[in-house]
Parts: sequence; C-alpha cells; structure tokens
Amino acid sequence: MTPWPFDTVLIANRGEIALRILRSVQAQGLRAVVVHHALDRLSPAVAQADQAIELRGNSPVAAYLDGDAILDAALASGAGAIHPGYGFLSENAAFARKVQAAGIRFIGPTPEAINLMGDKVRARAFVAQAGFPVAPSAIEDDDPSSFSERALQVGFPLLIKPAAGGGGKGMRIVRQSEQLAGEIERARSEAQRYFGDARLYVERYIENPRHIEVQVLGDDTGQVVHLFERECSVQRRFQKIVEESPSPALDAATRDRICSVAAGIARRAGYRNAGTVEFIFGQGEFYFLEMNTRLQVEHPVTEQITGIDLVREQLRIAAGEPLGYTQDDVRVSGHAIEYRIYAEDPARGYTPTTGPVLSLRVPGGEGIRVDLGIVQGQDISAAFDPMLAKLIVSGRDRQQALERADAALAQFVLLGCRTNIDFLRRLSRHPVFVAGDIHTGFLDAHPEVAADVSPSPATLRRLLGAAALQTRPLRDAAEAIPALHAAIGGWRN
Amino acid sequence: MRHAFEIDATPHEVWLGRESGEYILHLDNERLPVSLSLDDQGHGSLRIDGETVPITLARRGDDCFIHLDGSTWQLRYRDPLERASALAHGSHDDDIRAPMPGTTISVRVAPGDAVLKGATLLVMESMKLETAIIAPRDAVVVSVRVAVGQAFERDALLVEFDERPAAQPTATPT
Amino acid sequence: MKRIESRIDVHGAEFLANQAHNQALAADLRARQHRARHERPERDMDRLARQNKLFVRERIERLLDPGTPFLELSTLAANMAWDGEVPGAAIVSGIGIVSGREVILHADDASVKGGAWYPHSVKKIVRTLDIAIENRLPVIHLCDSAGGFLPAQSQLFADRYFAGRIFRNQSTLSKMGVPQVAIVLGHCTAGGAYVPALSDYSVITRGTGAIFLGGPPLVKAATGEEVSVEELGGADMHTRVSGVADYPAGSEIEAIAIARDIVAQWHRPAKTQIDRQEPEAPLYDPRELYGIIPRDIKVQFDMREVIARMVDGSRFHEYQPAYGTTLVCGFAHLWGFRIGILANNGVLFNDSTLKGAHFIELCNQNRTPILFLQNITGFMVGREYERNGITKDGAKMIMAVSNSEVPKFTVIINGSYGAGNYGMSGRAFDPRFLFMWPQSQISVMGAEQAANVLSEVKIRQLQRSGQSLSAEQIAAIRDPVLADYNRESSAYYSTSELWDDGILDPPDTRNALGIALSASLGAPIAEPRYGVFRL
Repeated sequence: MTPWPFDTVLIANRGEIALRILRSVQAQGLRAVVVHHALDRLSPAVAQADQAIELRGNSPVAAYLDGDAILDAALASGAGAIHPGYGFLSENAAFARKVQAAGIRFIGPTPEAINLMGDKVRARAFVAQAGFPVAPSAIEDDDPSSFSERALQVGFPLLIKPAAGGGGKGMRIVRQSEQLAGEIERARSEAQRYFGDARLYVERYIENPRHIEVQVLGDDTGQVVHLFERECSVQRRFQKIVEESPSPALDAATRDRICSVAAGIARRAGYRNAGTVEFIFGQGEFYFLEMNTRLQVEHPVTEQITGIDLVREQLRIAAGEPLGYTQDDVRVSGHAIEYRIYAEDPARGYTPTTGPVLSLRVPGGEGIRVDLGIVQGQDISAAFDPMLAKLIVSGRDRQQALERADAALAQFVLLGCRTNIDFLRRLSRHPVFVAGDIHTGFLDAHPEVAADVSPSPATLRRLLGAAALQTRPLRDAAEAIPALHAAIGGWRN
Repeated sequence: MRHAFEIDATPHEVWLGRESGEYILHLDNERLPVSLSLDDQGHGSLRIDGETVPITLARRGDDCFIHLDGSTWQLRYRDPLERASALAHGSHDDDIRAPMPGTTISVRVAPGDAVLKGATLLVMESMKLETAIIAPRDAVVVSVRVAVGQAFERDALLVEFDERPAAQPTATPT
Repeated sequence: MKRIESRIDVHGAEFLANQAHNQALAADLRARQHRARHERPERDMDRLARQNKLFVRERIERLLDPGTPFLELSTLAANMAWDGEVPGAAIVSGIGIVSGREVILHADDASVKGGAWYPHSVKKIVRTLDIAIENRLPVIHLCDSAGGFLPAQSQLFADRYFAGRIFRNQSTLSKMGVPQVAIVLGHCTAGGAYVPALSDYSVITRGTGAIFLGGPPLVKAATGEEVSVEELGGADMHTRVSGVADYPAGSEIEAIAIARDIVAQWHRPAKTQIDRQEPEAPLYDPRELYGIIPRDIKVQFDMREVIARMVDGSRFHEYQPAYGTTLVCGFAHLWGFRIGILANNGVLFNDSTLKGAHFIELCNQNRTPILFLQNITGFMVGREYERNGITKDGAKMIMAVSNSEVPKFTVIINGSYGAGNYGMSGRAFDPRFLFMWPQSQISVMGAEQAANVLSEVKIRQLQRSGQSLSAEQIAAIRDPVLADYNRESSAYYSTSELWDDGILDPPDTRNALGIALSASLGAPIAEPRYGVFRL
C-alpha cells in the first residue's frame, strides 16, 4: 500500500459534522486541523482538534464561507487535504478548483461534477439524456413560446419551479388546468423577487411523494458502487427531520432498480468520492430529483446498516486508493433511523430557538449513536443552522429500532434551549410513522404531532413540586411561616 | 395569594408550606410532601407524595428547565405582585407623563406605532437639560399629546399607550 | 410530668347525653357563625359585584398565607343587637399569617349596611387595636366603609373608648414601633379617612378606593364646590399629589398583593422567649369535651378532665394537690409552650383563694403565661368564712391577677358569676384574650338566684304592709327577671356586646389558645410588682 499523499486534513466546517469527520481523520492516524469562528471556540471539534485556527468574518456564517482564509489556514497548517463537510463550501466548484490549484486534495467530487449537478436544470437534462427516469416536465428555456402548451401536457398535478431556485422556495402546486396560466404568472413574479431570475420549469407532481435517496461512492478508477437507499420523507419546510434505511416503502425489486439507476447516473457523470442521488417516489414510479455532490447529514444511517465508515472511504478515495470492493460486497443488515435534533419550537411553526445549554446528557447503550455538535455551557444562538445533534438508532429490524428510539428520545436531556426532542418522540410513536406510511406531507397532514402537549396531572404535580423547591421566593415564604402555624395548618374557628 | 409557574403561557398556581422539617406542596385540593435531591450537574431524584422519580433540572433566572417523565418542560416563575399588576386593567400607569415642566424638542413616535420597552418616545428640554422620555414597556402608541416646540407642566400627559403588548415593533430602541 | 388519668366513662349514659346536648350546641354555634359570616341579602351582594368589589372574606383569604390558620375574633358581635341586621358588627377581625408574619387584621364588611360603623363596630375595631397594642401585633386595616351610623352617633362618637380611640390607638402603635398598613378598598370618609392617614403604609385601589374628610355631597353642601369622588380623594390624586396614600393599585387583587409585599418588608423583632418544647397532641380526644360538660349548668364536674383534653400529652404537674382542692392549679404544655393553669372545681374558699394568689405569683416568677379556666359561682359566703377573712383573701387573689405581668388567657368553660369572675381574670383584668364556650353563662349572679333575691325583696316589702303574694304574682315578678337574666347572661349576649373575643367550639380551644399564646409573645414580659396584699 502506497503511503497517503497527505498526513493532515483541514476540516472546513462546524458543529456535529466537524466532530464526526475529525473522529475518522484521527482514527486513520492523520492530524486534524479545525477552522472555526469565535462563537464555536468551545465546540467539541475544536477541543479535540490537533490544531484549531480561528477565522474572522463579517458574520459567523461568513467566516465559514471565506474560501481564501480557509485555504490560507490549510497551507499554514500543512494540511494536504480539506474536507468541506456539508453546506458552506462543500458544493462550491470555484472553491474546489482553488483548493486543487493550491496542490491540496479536495475531499469530495471533481469541480466538474459539482458544476454539472449544481445547476438543477442542467443536471436534469443530463440525467434525462442519459436515459434515466425524470419526471415529465416542461422547461421554459427550451422554447419560451411553447412553454405554456408543453406545461399543460406534463399532466396534473404539476409543480412550477424556478429554474434558478432552491431550498423549496417559489414552488407552486397546480392541480387544475384552468389555474395554470394564473399560477405561472405568480410563480414568475416570485422567482424574480427571490432569485432575480424569472425563468421557470414545470414538473409532474406526485401526490404524497416519498423522498428516496441513494448513497453512491466512486473512486479514481471509475468504479462506482451504491450503498443502498435512505428514506427521508419526514420533512418540514422541505427540510429533513427523520431519515431511515432501508426504506419501508420499497420491495426488493424496486430497491434494486432505484439503486442501480443511482449508480448508473453517478457512473455516467464520472463521479468520484461520496454523493447522493435523490428521487421522488410514489405510486410505483420514481423520478430523478437532484444529485448532491457532498457527504449528507443523514449519512450515518447508511453507515449503521452497511458497517462502512463513509468519511473513511472519502479520505481513502481522496488519497487515491481504489474502493477495493464491488457492489456484491456491499451487504446491509438491520435497520437504522436518524432523528435530527433541532433548536426549534415545532408548536410555533418550527421557529428557531436560542438559549444556553444548561444541562446535557445523551442516551447510550446498544444500538444508540449520538453525533453531537454542542457541549454543556454553550450558548445556542441564531447565528448558525439550528441543528444541534443527530440521534441514530439501529436495531435488528425496524421495530427494534423504533423501540430503542423511543427509549433514547425519552432519556435525552438537553435543558436551557427549547428543542424538538419531545416532538420527535411523538412523531416516532405516531401510528402512521410506525406503519411506515410516511410521505413528505405527513407532518402537514398530522398537525397534532407538532402541537404542544399539556402535562398529565401526575407530571404537573411533579413539575410544580420541583420548580417550587428550586425557586427562592417560594422557599423563603415557606420558611417565613412560624412553626406553630405551619403545624396547625389551614384551620379556621 | 399564590405564586404561579407558567408552562407554555398557562399559569399554574402553587404554594409551598413547611411542616415538621418537610416542605409541603399546596395545590388546589392537595397537600403533598415533596423533596428534591440533585447533584451539581442537576441530575437526581424528586420525591413527592411517597413516589420517587428521576429528574434533571437546570435554572436560569426565573426559568426552571426540567427533564421528567421522558419529556422536557420549561416553567417560568411569576411573582404574585407582578401577576396581579398584569391582571389589572384600565390602568393609568400606561400614560407617559412629564417628570418636570419643559418643552418638546423632538417626537419620535406617532399614533399606531408599536414600540419596544426602552424605546425613546420623545426628547424634552428643561432647565438646559435634555431628557429622553422612554417607553417603560412594549406597547402601542394610542396618542401623542404634545408637538415639537410645545411647553408643558409637570405631570402633563405626553403619550398614551394601549394595554396590549406589541406584536411587531416598528420603532427600534435607541 | 405525669398524665392526667381520666375517670370518665365515655360510654356511660351521662356522657352520651351530655355529648348529644353539647354537640347540638356546637352545631348551633356553627350555623349561627355561618349565617353571620356568609348569609347576605342578594341585593347587597349584587351591589358589591356592580361596584367591582370582592366580598370581605375573599379579600382576607387572598391576603393570608395559604395553608395557615386564621383565628377569627368576635364573629357574632352584635348578633343580639340592631335586630340582628348587623352580622359581625359589619367587621371581620382576627389573627392570621401574612407573608410569614403574625398580624391582626380588621376589615370593613361592605355587604352589611355598606360597611357603616355601628357602635359595636367601633368597639370591635378598638378591641382589635387594643389587642395589637398589648401584644405588639402588626395591623392590617382593610378599609371599605360608608362611615359612622349617624342615628347611633351618641353611642359611638364622644366618649373615651368610642371612635376617637381608634385613631389614638393607631398613634400609640406607631409610637411603639408596631407597623400598620391600610388597604383602601372603598371609601374612607370623615373619621375613617384617618385610618389610612395614621397607618405607616397605605395602598389604595383605583376606581373604588377613596379618602376624604368630606365626600362630594358634603363638599357641595358646605361650599358649593362640585367635584367627583376620583378628583376629590381617588387613588391617583392621593398617591401622586397629596401623599396621603402610598401605593396605587389597579385592582383589589393588586392592592392585596402590594400589601403582602409591604408586610414582607417589615422587620421581624425577636419574640419574648418562654420555655417551649416539641408540641404533642393530647392523649385524650378533645372531642370528648362534649361529653364532659354537663347539660345542667348547676352540675359539678372535674376540671382535670377538661385539662386532659387540652394540653400536650394530657400531662399536668399539679401544684398543692392536697390543699385548696376547689381550685386546680398546675403546669402543663400547650402547643409546646409551658403554661400555668388555674381551673375551678367548685366554690372558692379561703384556702383555694390563697392557693390561687400564690400560684399566680409562682407563674410570674417562672415567666409562665397563665390560663384561667372558669366555672365559678363565686366565693364562699357565711360567717365562718367571713371571720377567716374570705374577703381579704379574695382581694389578695384580685391583687395578684391585676398586677400579674405574664400574659393571661381566660376561657369561660361554664359559669362565671360574681366576684369569682374577677379573681379568675375576667375581662376587666386584661387577659390578652378571653373566650366563651357555647353553653357558658356570665352574670353577677345566677338567674335563679337573682330571681329569688328580687322576688324575696318584693315579698318582704309587701309583708311589712301586711300583704302577701299569690303564686301567680310571685311568678309575675320572678319570670321576667329569669327571662332577662337568661337572655343577658348567655354566651351569645356576651359575645354580642363584645364582652369576650368570641365563642369557641370546645375542641377548637387548643388551637385558638396556641395561636393566642404565640401572638402574645410579641410583647415583653416585665418583672412582676404587686401592690399591697392585705395579709
């Protein structure tokens, strides 16, 4: 085995993913350098890094987007590779090019692959041309004058999307042909407002769709394998909350088809390193949605059922090693579910919450993995994404995973900043979720999951007793009463 | 008059008594002996009415954060006097009156404006001193009774507020 | 200290008959108290609601610390006066705990005649403040009164202990350093305006509270000036302009919350220390008292049986057990406090009288408060006793009682007649608190005896002029006397006239005395000093 071309990896990210990457880097015997904004100086990744370099920026987020500063930090620390994590610069082709130009390995795909898949319309066209299933659609750019007519032919229900869009913004569902013209007008003006670009495309919409994605890995030799699928249908505001693998929706044949298509797309794109191909699935059909050219938040569920450390694979591939195994070598066993713990208030529109982490105690035990990005004493601020941690539960089957999840969520202690932990537990126990009949509209269809729950009388008694004992005015008032009168109690003559 | 803890804005009244060295929790119709034992990390157990349950508790100011019975709760303490004041309606406390005689130099708000506590409502001049008149609480301005250049006596009504707390502030505190 | 051994057969016929009788009396007491406390004409309660006012008892419940006792005094004041139309004399008073402090309060009951002050009302307030002075108890005034009841002004205005005494007492309390807070929840007019003005702290409710020497109608009549209640004496004027009141409140609830907060700021002086141990419940059930007190007031019973159902552990250290046996003297603990007890087991003879005087001196030497349990028809009369100096012996007992410095508490268990009342610390001898039991009677002599005496006088008068009286004529003289005496010697009459601080259901006596004892320790206990004992 040839020695690796780098012995130090710079991690250009924060929170739980920085720590997660750091673990695999150090386990590999490499040095880990972490860049961070001052707000993150207490984070566990910084504490455990071999070297920590502070970045400055106009805002905390700006610090992690400062590609030049990050590159300088890598050069200064002798890092031969940069892992961008997810978000921030992970899908920034220009940054990837600069890193390569500086002689540093970018732990991720090629800039070309990033470019190709970064433009949603271009990616779609590429995939369709390669013969893989995409949702029937009409792209305005192809021929603006015939756009409305072609849109009608896509069939209803359909989804109007901004070409330059993302993040679920500016999308409109149209169910009846009479509404189409009006909705196109409105979508156009919204697209102009949000993205400065009024171009649209229209796609067939699947009712109650399920979001199925497939993990792929490609090495320098051009070999590509898939690591099976993840189901990510439980979402709010188009953001994922719970992901699991395998998907309860797929039979063996469909699984095989979807995963093969994903691997095919990756192979066709000459994809290297880790990536995820996302599909919309429903009523037996599936369509390519988009490809994410980075490691994803929910990668741990794949790791749990395959036993493969994805970050380690990323490092190996970046170091030039071949995968060393074929598709047949990839086996899955058991079931894994990931619950994203957010600093937010589900009962109030999932608005982000803030506060100090006054007390933190994560569950443990058989089948429990917690990827944590915070420490006790830290202040959760609105400066960053509200995701605090991931609870990944595995079991021999889905039922055991659900049982372990329920216990783990009940035992998870995070006090001082409101989180969605109680909400996740209610979700995980919901009969529809337990039956696996989930789709992306699940939470909208069941608002009771997000609603506040009042404490039971027994719990209320306990809460009031504990709070009373811990609150000075109540204790002081109790102690002020003379012993005689306390002993006589509420007597009246 | 009892103390209260708010859970998700719902108040729950409670009183703590003491008898034979024990604390007694007084709820509507119940009197329950209660005790708490926590380590310095806030983990421990609560004993109430003969039962012992595990609990984690952390405090900050008037907020008590509790993990109990598999869920997380936040209890906010409401001082009885503060609750009683909040319940009183039609209070002239809302009127902003001149602390001394003077002249209005500038007016920063208009009727209908929602202001945050601490916002400057107007600036007055008196005895060669400029004084900022500040909003004592989040409020909506109902009327402004003085204009720039206008002189007034001590205790004159300057600004009237409504009773409800503001939802979307338009004036920012200076 | 050994336990009293009870000799009563709690299953015997006598006991059960007494029990039924006394339980009925207790039920009657509770019914009367309930009516006096809660039954009001609907129009009066409606008026309160329209005026946005809370009922006086709701105000008090919010003022007091939850889960603490409230010893209400003279609940049935004026119950036999003014045709029973002024329950409680339109005042609620009592001792309770506010923000952990022992306080005494009095509250105008605006649901009774608008809270007007009748002569009995004034007497009740003066008594409340006298208790405050004697025991150094902080005072809370809840003011909501229409003012003096003018048709009865001759009974409430001019004399020494009439209305002026309220304000004199307030001034004395202030001089003594005992704080007062007034909560103005209605009108304080004319004299009533001085209650908040003389209180160290005052809270006034906007909209309903008002303080003025003369209300708008009087002002209009006097000077022609037209002015509204708010302008003349409302919360904002007094708290911002005149300084007559300290804290404005937007509602009654806020006013009460402010008052509680004020009380919480008061200094808590150390209480006078007397000997105290862990309290212990009596061994015998206090409810057995119902079976011990005879149905007929003339029947004798052993006071030790009563003591056994009142004191801690039913333990009693008897003093001079063999001497002067018609007066039981000894030490016991009540709610942990050591007390001395004098209790009548018959008529007072020379020896029992001397024993009593001596024991009172011992209690003063020992700094032990004294509890007098009265069941006394009087001192013994007759030649032998007079020659032995029963009168000067009685004088010695009265001298001791009058000059005793330790707190005294009196409970009239059964009869309280003649000078026996005096020797056993009746009202005139300043016990800190004096309570009656429902069946008790109090008069200069028993009704039968008085009726006999008066008809005897008449008979002899007529005999001297050679006439005699028929049975009917004798009855015509006797019966009205009997009726008057029975009426005016009942516990209900006594409590109506505020000769006592309230009628207790016998089993409640222990708690009432515990609270009274604790309250009395607010004042220091001076070294005893007596006048001349006629030896």
